[in-house]
Amino acid sequence: MANVRYHVSLYSLTHVFQDSRRALTALTDVALDVAWGQFLTVIGPSGCGKSTLLRIIGGLLRPSEGEVLIDGAAPVESQRRRDIGFVFQDPALLPWRTVLSNVRLPLEIDHGARDRTAPSPEELLELTGLADFHSYYPHELSGGMQQRVAIARALAFDPSLLLMDEPFGALDEITRSAMRYELLRIWSAGGGAPSGTEGRPTRRPHKTVVFVTHSIPEAIALSDRVVVLSPRPGTVRAAIDIELPRPRTQEMERTAPFLDYADQLRNLLKEAPA
Amino acid sequence: MNQTLRSLAAHILPPALTLIGALLFWEFWVQWRDIAIIVVPPPSAVLERFLDDPDFFRHHGGWTLYEATLGLLLGSSFALALAIAMAHSRLTERALFPLAIIIKVTPIVAVAPVLVIMFGFGTTPKILVAALFSFFPMLVNAMTGFRDVNPGALEFLRSLRASPWQLFWKLRLPSALPYLFAALKVTYPLALIGAVVAEWFTGDRGLGLVIFVANANLDTPTLFAAVGVLALTGVTLNVLLYLTERRLLFWHETIRTIR
Repeated sequence: MANVRYHVSLYSLTHVFQDSRRALTALTDVALDVAWGQFLTVIGPSGCGKSTLLRIIGGLLRPSEGEVLIDGAAPVESQRRRDIGFVFQDPALLPWRTVLSNVRLPLEIDHGARDRTAPSPEELLELTGLADFHSYYPHELSGGMQQRVAIARALAFDPSLLLMDEPFGALDEITRSAMRYELLRIWSAGGGAPSGTEGRPTRRPHKTVVFVTHSIPEAIALSDRVVVLSPRPGTVRAAIDIELPRPRTQEMERTAPFLDYADQLRNLLKEAPA
Repeated sequence: MNQTLRSLAAHILPPALTLIGALLFWEFWVQWRDIAIIVVPPPSAVLERFLDDPDFFRHHGGWTLYEATLGLLLGSSFALALAIAMAHSRLTERALFPLAIIIKVTPIVAVAPVLVIMFGFGTTPKILVAALFSFFPMLVNAMTGFRDVNPGALEFLRSLRASPWQLFWKLRLPSALPYLFAALKVTYPLALIGAVVAEWFTGDRGLGLVIFVANANLDTPTLFAAVGVLALTGVTLNVLLYLTERRLLFWHETIRTIR
């Protein structure tokens, strides 16, 4: 076991998109550690490689250089154990399936993977506030509700790592800020997977979340730690620990410490023109 | 109940009135100009011919429909199998698509007599011609359909390590359904045309034969009645396809926006 102190470790990741005519460097030399149960947000200007980073962590993309370890192994291992949940900006629900059937989809892909402690699709709908909508079709739901379904779907295997790629990016501002606290509620309600392996806490309080956004208030409100990426090619410019008490509330967004963090992040994002 | 009646009237009344108007004009025109029946028969004569012996048309129409349907199934199955292979690999697409183009550009009407020589006077050559007619539109639509999947849904299923088989059944096939229905609305009438064309050349039954013989005998009422039965069959098939589509694709924009 290489390094199980951290849930996710990135070692000098570089990624180059190559086609026949040109090469585009999306990420250079990204190093990052995510502690178990941490809510970590990656923030950066558009096109800085945030989504690429998330896809590499999730094992959907192989980095050109560098290494990713999740729980001391390659991402593919976690993927195989169904220990990663993905939420994308587009909820990408299957329109011909009801809400419940969409949440059940992962279990249809792999019947064996859900262990007994994992919540059932019905419980997940309860958790995400969708219990009354189980027989609705996606087109009958608002954008925020659709994204709740996508979150419930990502939790189907009770993964200990949740990767979220601007999940609220397409929502209107009011829904968006409400969804932040919804997500935090869901996050604190659904614990991490129990595990007795040495070096790891036996029962982690939360799932580890890696969240990508370009909204400063969203990053502060949600996170334990915010990582700022530079414009393309993206690299880690700074990491800030957000020491606001939990549970976080919407009212905190108007307090001095919150606004200080916002200033700090805004300056970090401004340093080099995008 | 009242509501359904009203919406039924709203949907059926306008086209029915148009049709009746056109038929009345046709009837009036033929009577007024005193056009010979062997040139253009009045609709009344055509209807009279049909009512005279509806079983005759039912018998021949039944055969044509049977050949067209089997041809459609055959052509669509081949098209679907090919589309699945091509949607999954660019190499197969490059290898097979030119062949499909050849089938498309070949004047099938010209090939029909050859098929008759090859396969005899039975139903086989008619089914084959109908299959050839319906093959290409289904192929092109299915190929597009199998590829037109929501990229997010595809990525999500890939993150779950879904097998190509699961991707096909859970994502690609349902995503392609709107395209497949669009194709069927074109290919079913085409298959009917294919069957009729094949019947022209040979055979002892089918509306194609009826038209051929009536034409040779200058029996225009029979000819027009056969054409009318064909048109009516085509319309009925389209209505049935439309109703099935509405039930199956309730989730798709094309259905939702017409409500």
